[in-house]
Formats: sequence, C-alpha cells, structure tokens
Amino acid sequence: MPLLSLLLWVPLLGAVALTLLPSETRGQTYRTLAAIVIAIALGVSLAIARLFDPSNAAPQLIEVIPWLEPLGLSYRLSVDGLSLPLLVLNNFLTLIALLATSVHLPRPRLYYPLVLLLNAGVSGAFLADNLLLFFLFYELELIPLYLLIAIWGGARRSYAATKFLIYTALSGVLLLAGFLGLVWLADAPSFDFDPQLSTLLPLSSQVILLGLILVGFGIKIPLVPFHTWLPDAHVEASTPISVLLAGVLLKLGTYGLVRFGVQLFPQAWQVLAPLLATWAVVSVLYGSLMAIAQTDMKKMVAYSSIGHMGFVLLATATATPLSILAAIAQMMSHGLISALLFLLVGVVYEKTGSRNIEVLRGLLNPERGLPLIGSLMIVGVMASGGIPGMVGFVAEFLIFRSSFLTFPVQTLLCMVGTGLTAVYFLLLVNRVFFGRLPNELTDLPPVAWGDRLPSLILATLILMLGIAPNWLIHWSKTTVDLLTPTVVTLPTL
Amino acid sequence: MTLLRPTLTSHSPELRTVILERLLRGQALLPDTPTHVMEVVGILKSYGVVLKAYAENLCDISERQFLVLFPFFKYFNGEITIPKLLRHWWHDRINYEYAEYCMRAMMWHGGGGLDAFLDSAEFRQLAGKAIAAKLRGNPLMQLLNQLFPEFLLETVRMLCYYSGLGQFWTVMYPIFLTLSDRYDAGEIRSIPDVVDHIRAGLIAEAHRPITYSVKIHGQTYDILPPSANLTFLADTAIPYIEAVFLRGTPFFGLVSFNAQAQQISREQAEFSYGALFADPIPTGAAGIPPTLLMQDMRHYLPPYLLEFYRRHGRGEGDLRVKICQTFQKSMFCVTTAAITALAPYPWTTTDPQEQAANRAFYETWLDRLETSRLWSVQMGN
Repeated sequence: MPLLSLLLWVPLLGAVALTLLPSETRGQTYRTLAAIVIAIALGVSLAIARLFDPSNAAPQLIEVIPWLEPLGLSYRLSVDGLSLPLLVLNNFLTLIALLATSVHLPRPRLYYPLVLLLNAGVSGAFLADNLLLFFLFYELELIPLYLLIAIWGGARRSYAATKFLIYTALSGVLLLAGFLGLVWLADAPSFDFDPQLSTLLPLSSQVILLGLILVGFGIKIPLVPFHTWLPDAHVEASTPISVLLAGVLLKLGTYGLVRFGVQLFPQAWQVLAPLLATWAVVSVLYGSLMAIAQTDMKKMVAYSSIGHMGFVLLATATATPLSILAAIAQMMSHGLISALLFLLVGVVYEKTGSRNIEVLRGLLNPERGLPLIGSLMIVGVMASGGIPGMVGFVAEFLIFRSSFLTFPVQTLLCMVGTGLTAVYFLLLVNRVFFGRLPNELTDLPPVAWGDRLPSLILATLILMLGIAPNWLIHWSKTTVDLLTPTVVTLPTL
Repeated sequence: MTLLRPTLTSHSPELRTVILERLLRGQALLPDTPTHVMEVVGILKSYGVVLKAYAENLCDISERQFLVLFPFFKYFNGEITIPKLLRHWWHDRINYEYAEYCMRAMMWHGGGGLDAFLDSAEFRQLAGKAIAAKLRGNPLMQLLNQLFPEFLLETVRMLCYYSGLGQFWTVMYPIFLTLSDRYDAGEIRSIPDVVDHIRAGLIAEAHRPITYSVKIHGQTYDILPPSANLTFLADTAIPYIEAVFLRGTPFFGLVSFNAQAQQISREQAEFSYGALFADPIPTGAAGIPPTLLMQDMRHYLPPYLLEFYRRHGRGEGDLRVKICQTFQKSMFCVTTAAITALAPYPWTTTDPQEQAANRAFYETWLDRLETSRLWSVQMGN
C-alpha cells in the first residue's frame, strides 16, 4: 500500500469532500469530519513509523511515479529519520489545532478544507524526494495559510497575511533559483534529490547557490533579519493557526536547512558554517531580548520562537551526527512547546479578552482564575526554558553538548539565550498568573474541558518525552550519519 | 497597593450616611433584601454545624490533651480508629486547624478579662498546681519545666484560649442553628430579624461564666476558676470579635511579601486583617486559612443556598469564594448584633442627646470599618 501517498491524498480528498457538504452543515460536523480525516493521516504516519527501519540510514518506502519527465519533475516520495518525526508532528499538531478550533467559527466550509490542504502541503514537502516537487509543496502550503490568516485573523489580518505572503513567496523564489542553478550548473538529468550533485560544481558556485537557499529558508524559519513577518502573523492569526505556524510551518525552514543545505551542499556548508553559527547567536539573542521587551503574550511567544529556532541553526551549522540529531530533537521539542504556549495564550485571550501582561494578573487564582491553564503555562515555560525532565532540556542539552567543541563561543552565547528564556517567561508567569486577580477579572467564564484537553495532551507529551527522550530521537540516530558531511579537503574557491 | 487590601471600595459620603441612618433606625450594616436573608441564614446554618464540631474539638483538646507535648491525635476527639485515621490522612474530615487559627489570633491580640487573668499571680499559682500534678512521675517533663519554666505556663495559657473559644462557640452554634429553624418556620423574614435573633442570643448568654478545669490523676484542677468572674460576652465574645472580625492576622501565604515591603504595621492595634476586611477572591489559594472554613461549610450548605450558588458565577467551580462572600455578609450581621448591643442607648430612644450619643457611637464604628468590605457588600443583591 502506498502509505506515503496516503499522507497526501487522505487530507486532499478530505478537503474536497468537506467542500461538497451541504451549506447548512453545522460547524461541529465539519470539525469532527476534519478531525477524523487527520486522525486517519496520523494513523497512517504511525503505521509508517512502525514499518520504518531505524537501523537503515537510507530513504525508505520510496514511491516513484514518472510525471513531467522533460522538466525533470517526478512524483518521488520517501521517508527517513529526518522527515518521519516531522510527519508525525505535522499530523499530530493538525489534530490538536482542529480540537482547539471553535465550533462557532464562521465559514467552516472553507476553513476546514484549507487546514487539510495545509496539512497535505506540509506532508508533501517533508516527503518530496525531488527538488521541484518539494518546491511545489512548499508553495502549495502558502495559499491556505495566507487565507487562514487573512480571513480568520485579527484586526490587522490583511496586513499580516500580505506581509507573510510577500516574505514567504520571496523565500520560494530564492529556493527555486537555488534548485534551478544547481540542476542546470551540474547538468543533472532531473530534479531528483542527489547529495552528490553539488560536489560537481566549483566551491564558489556551491557557496552562491547555498547562499540563495539559506536566505530562502532563513525567511521561513525565520532568522533575524528576515523575521519581521512572524510576530505580525502570529498576533493576527487565530490560535489554531498559530499552533500550526509555530509548531509545523517553521519546521519547513529548519528541515530545509538540513535537507537542502547540509545534505545537498556538504562542501559549501563547511565554508559557511562559522558564519551560520554566528547568525544563530544573533537570532537567539535578538529574539530573546525582543521577547523580554514585549507586553503582548503572543508576541512574546513569537519572539521566543525566533530565539529557539536559532538553536536549530547552531546545531545545523555544527553538522555532526550528534548535532543534527540535536537539531531534529529541537524541531520536535519546539513544535510541541510552542504549540502548547500558543494554545494557552489563546485560552487566556478568549477568557479575559486580553493578552497584555501589564493588564492581566493573578490568573492562577484557584476558584475565579484559570488555574489549570496557568499551571500548564508554567509547565510550558519551564519546558521552553530547558528545565530537566522536559523535552526542552533534552533538545537544548544535545545542541549545546554537540556544538560546544566546534563553536565554543557561539554555543556559550546561545546558552545565554536560554537564560534569557527564563527571564522573559518568568516575567510573563509572574505578571499574568501570580498576585491578586484584579476585580475586572473576577467574573471570567469557566474553561471547558474541551479547551483544556489539547493543552493537557501536549503537556503530557512534553513531560513524557523529557523523561524518555529515546522515543524522540531513536528514529533519527542512523539517518543523521547519512545527513552529515564527512570531513573532506575542500577545493579552493 | 498591597496584596492584602487591593479591593478597597471607594465609597461616597452618601453611602456612609445611608448606612449610618440604617443603624440609627435599628437596622443592619448589611442591606435588607430577600436574597441577603436567604444567603445569610443559609450560610449561618452550615456555619453552625461546623462551629459545633470546632467547639467540641477545642474543648476536647483543652481537657484531654492537657500538656500533651505531641498531640498527634488531637483532632480525633478521643475516638482513634483505623477508618478515622484513614479518613484523616485522606483529608475527608473537618479542618479543625481553622479553629486553632482563630484561637491563636485571639490569644495573640488578647484583650478582655481572660487576657488580664492569664497574667495574674492567681493564674500562675493555679496553673503551677496543675502543671506539677501533670509532671508527677515524668522526669523528662520535669527537666523540661526546670530548664524552661515559662514554656508549660504559656502552653496552659494557650489551652485556656482553646477552652475559652470552645465555650464561646458552644454558645454561638445553637444561635445559628435555631436561626435557620426559625427561618424555615417563616419567623425570620428580614436582615433586622436575623440581627435581632443573634443579639438576643448574645444578650441571653452575656453573663454566662467562663471557667476551665482539668482532671489529672482523678483530681480536678481549676485553671479559670469561677472566682475569676470571667463571662461570655465581655471576656470571650468581644475579644473574639476584636481579634477575628476586626484585627485578624495577615495570611501566611502573603505575609512575607507584605512584611518585606514594610506594609504591615508593627502595632497590633492598627491591624485590620480580620474577617470583615478579608478579600474573598484568593480563597482556595495556598496559605489562605479561611479556605479551610469554606471547605468545611460547603459540606453542610442547605439545598436552597447550594442551588443559588449553582445558578451564579461558575456554579460549583467557585463555590468557596461565593461561600466566603456570603459568610462575610453574615459576619456583618453578627457585628451589627454586637455593636447595637453595645450602643449606649436603644435605637428607639426619642431623647435628642441620647440619639446624638448613638450617632457618635456608630460613626466611630463606621470610621473603624472605613477600609473593610462593608462598602462592597452594599452592592449586588
């Protein structure tokens, strides 16, 4: 059975089916059906994980269908230790996002198919074993995400969605230029993924092409100074879309760094690695300092994402098997933690009507506040701050442990960023959740179990993976050997 | 702004005048509405049930746990069984700790004849006899007493407060339970009726003697003898109201923060952390002792009050806060009963000079309640 294709076609066909439902169908029905579709996709991804052989570093379960051969485009899918965890994460977080979506959402007939389309696009990008096919999926997910922000976003949704579209479209253009350049300059017969391709080129060409790709993915991750679209997009996006944006969409950028940077340009990567490590430091420190300066909880979490994605860049720059393993762990860890934080901020906003940390206070009040939400927020910020026993610690420790020998100064500076995480999240927790509940907030509506459930599931997973991190990384242990460049004598530029 | 008093309600002079006029007309600090009557009577019924348990336990501790240095089973009232122990550990029980919290507040603030008697030579002599009897055949305790001669004496003082508060509540709980019975019978229809009932109960027992004696090795030792002339109203009720309703203590969960901020006066007389001043919103949080009382009362709420709570706010989700809010209203009724009983002249007087004296008396009380929750309870129902 073509399981990999099922990951694409189940949500795609589900999206089509939902649009065909009668217009009077209730929002609850749309949500349930969409959740069933994604639950099937999640089941398929877990079945793939069961069939996956972790001891085999090579791509597995390959599916190939010739498509536009003159163009070099083929429908070529595969899965390895890098893409498998991200596939599971994508389907899992999409399900969480659906559970967190209000049944009273307007225009459900459009919303849910777009979420399914987004899911399919992201899965396709993670599965694509052809550069052009990756690019198609990469572009495909832009459209639903743009619409999801532009239609169901906040007051400045149009501005935020347009900015997101411009930035990420530019990112796509740069990637396409990089891919085209690589294939044409290397005179390759097709766009099929081939790690040896770039070694046929002079190093200077490799560096230029890698530079294009780095900036392209740098926008998507996002790295400073290409980050400005992200806080706006997060602030304006609805909670479930923020979950997907932070939890999954940003991972496309870091996935691209490993797959199309480290693996596709191993020689050029070694040249640019010190620069990238320094870039990571800038991103980490800038993101963290900006987070400290925020008064909007959602913006704070968004800037925190920028900082934490910098850790992934540091590990990727190091490009050792352990550091790539660390990068994968951090992608997963950040996906879960940021999703939890955005969910909780969403509940706080829904119940209090504010995300301003200068207004909110005392929400841990056991009877009149949001005590469980506050408690989960403490779990989330502890995980984000890298407290042992949680998944964040595992990922960050792996990153620092693996990067220190190669980039000691940059690693130490990034560790300062971890300290800053504690600063801004303690500010948030202290201001918003401790102290006396203001009189204006003593009549908050209660939080239903439906609102609590997605956060509880995420928090449980964050703790479980913190205690048993092997569940997180054992898929990738062998693959990372294949992903990392062997130390070679570089040709002269 | 302090954490302890963040909810001071800015009130208008007109509101103060309204309350003053109410008192002068023989009415209460709490506005008279049918909802208030239902709430106050209902909460006092559950309070009565809890108070009975507290009172019995306090008296039991003062008698059975006399100078027991490690009273592990002091909340068991002499009935030590495995099922009861398991219930205790499971916390399926009355929180007697709250009664001790009130007792300690009362002891700390002192006041009244009881406090004065405990500093007298007569008390030292009587307590000394009881201590000597208790220590007979116990060399370890004798050594302790030799090393720290004031320690056991101070412990006996505390046991006097156990007994005094136990006796005070033994009088109070039937007043609250009969109030509920009379309400059910249709005899209580307004807040002034509630106040009258409580005041009548207080006055009826005003001169009830407060005494305390313990039995050691088959012999009875007086600690608070009848000759001390301690009475219910002057020596337990008024000090209790002063200590628990008005002064109180900053809650442990918040005290360190406020003490560091130099927001807590060193003068006990300036304390205003009592039940009438307490903020109900933090109820349920760590270190907020009234939470224990609210937890206890929630088990004995009359059905009509429970139904009322279910229809408001978060239903049973914020039950303890709502109980606390209602309890505070009821305490304003008890306070009204106490201060109107202490007023220099009956409210019915027509003599202008007596009326002026009453007005001045009530104004002094309103000044004292300036930062209390009095103004908040005027709102709503």
